[in-house]
Amino acid sequence: MSADPWPEPEQLDTDVAVVGSGGAGLMCVLHAMTARPGLDVTVVSKGAVGRSGCTRMVQGGYNAVLDPDDSIELHFRDTIRGGKFLNDQDLAWTLVNDAPRVINELETRVGCFFDRRADGRIHQKAFAGQAFDRTVHRGDLTGIEIMGRLRDQMFRLGPRELEDVRALDLVRDSRGALAGVTALNVRTGTPVVIRARVVVVATGGSATMYRVAAPAREKTGDGVAMCWRAGLPMRDMEMLQFHPTGLLAGASRMTGAVLEEGLRGAGAHLYNADGERYMARYDPERRERSTRDVVARAGYLEIMAGRGTAEGGVYIDISHLGADEVEQRFPGMVARTRQIGQDLAAGPVLVSPTAHFHMGGVVIDRDCRTEVDGLLVAGEDAGGTHGANRLGGNGVAESTVFGARAGDTAAVLASERAYRTPAAAEVRASLVRAYAPLERELGPWPFDLTARLKEVMWRSVGVVRDEGALRRAVDELGELAEDVGRVAVPGPREVNFAWQEALDLVNQVTVARAMASAALWRTETRGAHARTDFPDSWDRPRYLVQRAGGGGLGDGLAGSIEAREHDVALTRLTQADLDAEERR
Amino acid sequence: MMVLDVLLAVQREHDPALGFRFSCRVGMCGTCTVRVDGRSVLACQTEVPDDTTRIRLDPLAGLPVVRDLVVDTGPFWRAWAQVRPYLVPDEADETGMDAEPAVIPPDSAEREVIDPALDCIGCAACFSSCGIASAHRDFLGPAALNRALVLIADSRDAASRERLDVIGGESGVDRCHYIYGCSAACPKGLDPARAIRRLRGRRFRRER
Repeated sequence: MSADPWPEPEQLDTDVAVVGSGGAGLMCVLHAMTARPGLDVTVVSKGAVGRSGCTRMVQGGYNAVLDPDDSIELHFRDTIRGGKFLNDQDLAWTLVNDAPRVINELETRVGCFFDRRADGRIHQKAFAGQAFDRTVHRGDLTGIEIMGRLRDQMFRLGPRELEDVRALDLVRDSRGALAGVTALNVRTGTPVVIRARVVVVATGGSATMYRVAAPAREKTGDGVAMCWRAGLPMRDMEMLQFHPTGLLAGASRMTGAVLEEGLRGAGAHLYNADGERYMARYDPERRERSTRDVVARAGYLEIMAGRGTAEGGVYIDISHLGADEVEQRFPGMVARTRQIGQDLAAGPVLVSPTAHFHMGGVVIDRDCRTEVDGLLVAGEDAGGTHGANRLGGNGVAESTVFGARAGDTAAVLASERAYRTPAAAEVRASLVRAYAPLERELGPWPFDLTARLKEVMWRSVGVVRDEGALRRAVDELGELAEDVGRVAVPGPREVNFAWQEALDLVNQVTVARAMASAALWRTETRGAHARTDFPDSWDRPRYLVQRAGGGGLGDGLAGSIEAREHDVALTRLTQADLDAEERR
Repeated sequence: MMVLDVLLAVQREHDPALGFRFSCRVGMCGTCTVRVDGRSVLACQTEVPDDTTRIRLDPLAGLPVVRDLVVDTGPFWRAWAQVRPYLVPDEADETGMDAEPAVIPPDSAEREVIDPALDCIGCAACFSSCGIASAHRDFLGPAALNRALVLIADSRDAASRERLDVIGGESGVDRCHYIYGCSAACPKGLDPARAIRRLRGRRFRRER
């Protein structure tokens, strides 16, 4: 018998392994199993299937062109303008074209029912940064309807569900071809080696690495970090969106939870502590209805200039619509504020910018293919669709549109790719790394390191950045990477959350290092990336593609980063087109 | 401070192996359900008054305990699955990416039944609060029956008759004793007891 610290791994063969069970993951399952009903599909989910991740948390809604007076071109233009021309235009075009078709599918096949207009057709509401009211919704808790019904579809389709199973690493065969994924059963502490013809990575982003953050707990950059360790290229890693209106609830975990965009769409005002409606100074025309990047930055600058409240926030106020109206249109948001002793229906509520969404991620094509044959990436783990800033309502559209496409691609790929045997050395390296914190008796405590990471990112790679702070962040993250490599969580293998936190940290710090390094490279201000030392934008939009270099701890955690610059291919729309259009 | 904040503090500062579940922390994922002094609630939405010195936390009733406050929700979802919880479109209806969504006015009779019964997050607080479901008395339970009502009332669905047979069967609505524990417990303010009453009427009338 070996002296390995792990029990004998469970072995599993599956045609398609889908890592993640949010909107992208479950849409992928739906499409793969609809395209090929006999397909063996396995969902690998760190949390409860269909009940973890952020699609579930979508409040406002889903942008799709349904009205004859709206147009695909208009939605595309809003998306590119919002993304400050950094978007991969092919991906953005795919998003806006498929979004109405996915709404059709969600309604007719999945069984969702979105709010209706008086005439019985789908109602669409106003969201910021858009030229047309095109946001489909179910009240202000749209994600519950989408994920609830997608979860129900799983009872019809019957994929294999590995719940509470954390994917660890992509593994290759002895010739370097993708062979599957290693995983860890969180309940039992037993490793799982999954051989798969196709692996789809759809775990969601990594914004939880900030002190004030909106996402669900699972979102620790697992997918991106897994792909990083496998050597895949990433783009736009510096682009982290801050939502302008996160709740401030003291030390409670509720802090950072989002008050939805629809409030600003419906006419909410933002005030600083002096009672000034400050957005008039930052975007006189659109004011509160400006895009998230502009509104979040304005709030941050007000707070930094000493015009914030004692709690470090500003106020959002929609009570001028009348309490009844606010309660009726935003019941979920009203309930959320009352929970923390405030009341959206009755008066101003304390808010702060909150880390919300990572625009950066793995480089994909429109069918979710990556550089590695057999590996697909969908949803927030992928980069390029949103460019430098995501429009509210384009997030759930992205996860479902590209999740569906990944499912279609996976169904085809699964019939072309044979099973391959994971190289023993790769499996072993993955498990050695995963079990190491459990083996160590002495070392840093993971929860302390998480707090340190959140502080570094909030302070130095946050809403507004500069060279000095970013250089310090790169150094601090390097030290943190070393400490994460020494973490000790002595304790049981079964349901050990300190151990799980340690594994999350490896992924978060891997992603954080790439983010800080990309942020240092981008010596301009564009979208979500604001540099006080470089307030202007470059004439030509450029993006950085990064991937793991050699060295470090053998897991990319503290290794070098290779980077290459590219011009954005403005294949469909340029700034000049937009200016000409707006002059007309 | 919410019960979830207390649990996180205990896990971080005292016992990292303390087992509990949560995801969204804003009452949308339905995974942090526990019993606080006997009541089944979402840990993230239940306030602990400042002067509290002691609270009693238990895992949900009627579900096997995995560890500490983590339960296996399998029995809850098996009951849910029994009502065919997904939309079954009529064979004549087109479905998929090229199909048109149904035209159904918001003030139609079906939406007046369905809308107040939506937004179930599958947290199982009702299941745990129901003396019959949680005691394994072969009862589908409030959440599954509430889901059945939503689908039976939905004019887009073609499996209502089959569902009426399920809810009218051995483990169906007749097991309910109207103690209203479910409706009192629902963190989303749904009223599963009313859904059960409505289902009883529909079963006799054989109507959707």
